[in-house]
Amino acid sequence: MISIRHLKLWVGGAILALLVVCGVAAPLIAPRDPQAQTLEDRLRPPRWTDNGMPAYFLGTDNLGRDMLSRIVYGSRISLMVGAATVIFAGIVGCTLGAIAGYFGSTADEIVSKISEIFLAFPFLLIAIAIMAFLGQGVGNLIMALMLSRWVQYCRVVRGEVLSLKERDFITAAKALGARDAYVIFRHVIPNTVASVTVIATFGMAIVIITEASLSFLGLGVPVHIPTWGSMLAEGRSYINRAPWLTIFPGLAIFITVFGINLLGDGLRDIFDPKLRRQR
Amino acid sequence: MNSNMNRREFLKKSATVAAGTALGPCFLRQAQAASRDRVTIFHSSVADSINPYNHSSSPIYGNWQHVIEPLVDFDGGRKDYIPVLAESWQFQGNKWVLKLRKGVKFHNGATFTSKDVVFSVEKMRDEKGGSLQASNFTDVSEIQTPDEYTVVFVTKQPNAVFLDRLNNRFMLSKEAGDKFGDKIYENLIGTGPYKFVSYQRGGNLVFTRNDNYWGGKADIKEVIFKKVTEDAARIAALESGQADFINNVPDHEVARLKKHPRVRIDQLEGLRMFFLAINFTFKPWDNKLVRQAANYAVDAPAIVRNIFDGIGYPCNGPVGANVLGADPKLKRYPYNPQKSKELLAQAGYPNGLDIQFYYSPGRYPKDREVCQVVAAQMAKGGFRVELISQEWALFWDRQGVNGGRLPFYYIGRGGLTDADTLYDQYFRTGTTKRTNYSNPEYDKVIDEQQKTPDSKKRIQLLQQAGKILMDEAVFIPLYNLADIYGVAKNLEWKKRADEKVKAWDMKIKA
Repeated sequence: MISIRHLKLWVGGAILALLVVCGVAAPLIAPRDPQAQTLEDRLRPPRWTDNGMPAYFLGTDNLGRDMLSRIVYGSRISLMVGAATVIFAGIVGCTLGAIAGYFGSTADEIVSKISEIFLAFPFLLIAIAIMAFLGQGVGNLIMALMLSRWVQYCRVVRGEVLSLKERDFITAAKALGARDAYVIFRHVIPNTVASVTVIATFGMAIVIITEASLSFLGLGVPVHIPTWGSMLAEGRSYINRAPWLTIFPGLAIFITVFGINLLGDGLRDIFDPKLRRQR
Repeated sequence: MNSNMNRREFLKKSATVAAGTALGPCFLRQAQAASRDRVTIFHSSVADSINPYNHSSSPIYGNWQHVIEPLVDFDGGRKDYIPVLAESWQFQGNKWVLKLRKGVKFHNGATFTSKDVVFSVEKMRDEKGGSLQASNFTDVSEIQTPDEYTVVFVTKQPNAVFLDRLNNRFMLSKEAGDKFGDKIYENLIGTGPYKFVSYQRGGNLVFTRNDNYWGGKADIKEVIFKKVTEDAARIAALESGQADFINNVPDHEVARLKKHPRVRIDQLEGLRMFFLAINFTFKPWDNKLVRQAANYAVDAPAIVRNIFDGIGYPCNGPVGANVLGADPKLKRYPYNPQKSKELLAQAGYPNGLDIQFYYSPGRYPKDREVCQVVAAQMAKGGFRVELISQEWALFWDRQGVNGGRLPFYYIGRGGLTDADTLYDQYFRTGTTKRTNYSNPEYDKVIDEQQKTPDSKKRIQLLQQAGKILMDEAVFIPLYNLADIYGVAKNLEWKKRADEKVKAWDMKIKA
């Protein structure tokens, strides 16, 4: 039985799966080295247009590099940065959130104040400041994004834990002599998984867009690594003469974010307590 | 607004307002399209401060020169200095004696005399007051004024290139200074062809014609300079008629704009020379074989041809052909990656050499693209290049180029009319830390050249210095780019390579 909400889940999942395959098998799929320059063939339009060359399916960029190969390789950075950020931010945010919610009082005060400080900063601005300070690189990029993303997890998990810890099964576990760490990791965190999964999927979409924005501003990964954001930035000044330089990376970002959002939407529908009760 | 307004009335009023907003600019634009009375210039670089000495940038000198004038100016065509407020000059040992032009009046009616020169130089030396031009007078020990129309600059050592320091040093009225005190810049009084009207922070300058100008009345009555840094915005303004004159048209827009009915494209060889600088304190850049290999590995003509659509001028030697001191006999190292590999092998790197290559993206036209191409070209010549981008402030500061911290970098030297500027600043021992190149034989030639008043002899010495730079492969000269201007078709002006825009050189065709 395929309902609309399951359709969202399947379509979103399929797009994401396709991208993962693209990223992992990039060397097999990409027809050329994404960094090989052929200056004589610069700014060739896509293959199906009048001046297109069979060798370049999506045309070439301003340095005569194959657009298709660069987009395929670009998916690696987007997905890797997206996934790594979500995982690290999730771990940090969930742990701190659980501690704050579970122990309350001073621990809660400290964690809440720190997260409020982070919330008070505009998200992109923190990322720009960190990248400018630490310099370019995939590792630094992930760190910058993580530092600005963990708060969301922290707030949500803390809220969930506050209500969870009053529930009977927690009291029961405690009465049986379970230690705090055991209770948190065995009973509390598993019960927050539903909401965290939903935040994580939406968060991943935001992270991919932020990565593209930072690369667009020249603060992302080093210039020779192809990413969708930096492709957009480099193609921008050629928008009159060679629109395919911006159209294809833009489409790639759009499809990816669209797919992940669909997936997140589908997951939320499944995990939503109201819908669960109706079942 | 009337709070009792009913819905119909509200809709009517908003429609009127909307129509007004939509149509207003159309009328405005027509009124502004290169009229006889006013020229609007959208430029990527316009004065950032009301203090006319708070910068050292060629286009901004061009702004202020409308109002305040220098003693001498440099004529790029004749490659020589021409009199402005000074009528004649003499170089006597460690003295420069300047005779001032008589009968020049300031905008406030005062007569221009040697007292004004002393007053203005004081202002330029006032670093605490915000001047960034003090360094031009570091070797001046005394300024004498034997009479009202004679000024003598006494230098610590004979300085044959002092006129270059006096170029772009503008003269204020002492009388206005006495009257306005700290507010002198808000009430800027000069001798120029235009009078100061207003300045807005963020770069919006308005000048109006000085009908009593000593050099003859200008054709255009009012001039507006507006700072617009986004290329696309300047182009759109020119196409729509909002601007009559714009600078820095990107080369890939040239073909399209040439077809525009309202627009003409004017281009000329620019004075900014681009090159790859090498810092000798970093090994193995002190090895001549490695530097020669790098010279063979970079194909500057191919970069100009492909990245700049052929709109550029590869350097054949250490400076561009339009620079005083250029040597037509010198040739650049030809592109030969095979030879580069061989030289690297001879230098002890048969398996290639890892190097770091720094640049600051967004500073120069298409710098990201250029540096990626350079990296790829050098890879074919046996260099494994790590391309590192830095924010300009970091790149240029003591942490970077000016602290001698970068081994190898992409840079452009602007306003280069005299090879001495580059040769002294980058390659003479101790002037800056930009390359840390030190060669006593070369220093001697540069010193001698700076003391030589005879320009033919000076050119020979500069050529001699240039030959040393090429033989030693001290750096990798690349190219000069074109300055490309977009101009309203009925506007005529004298093209100049120094990035200044002078409204008194402009005329409106009927």
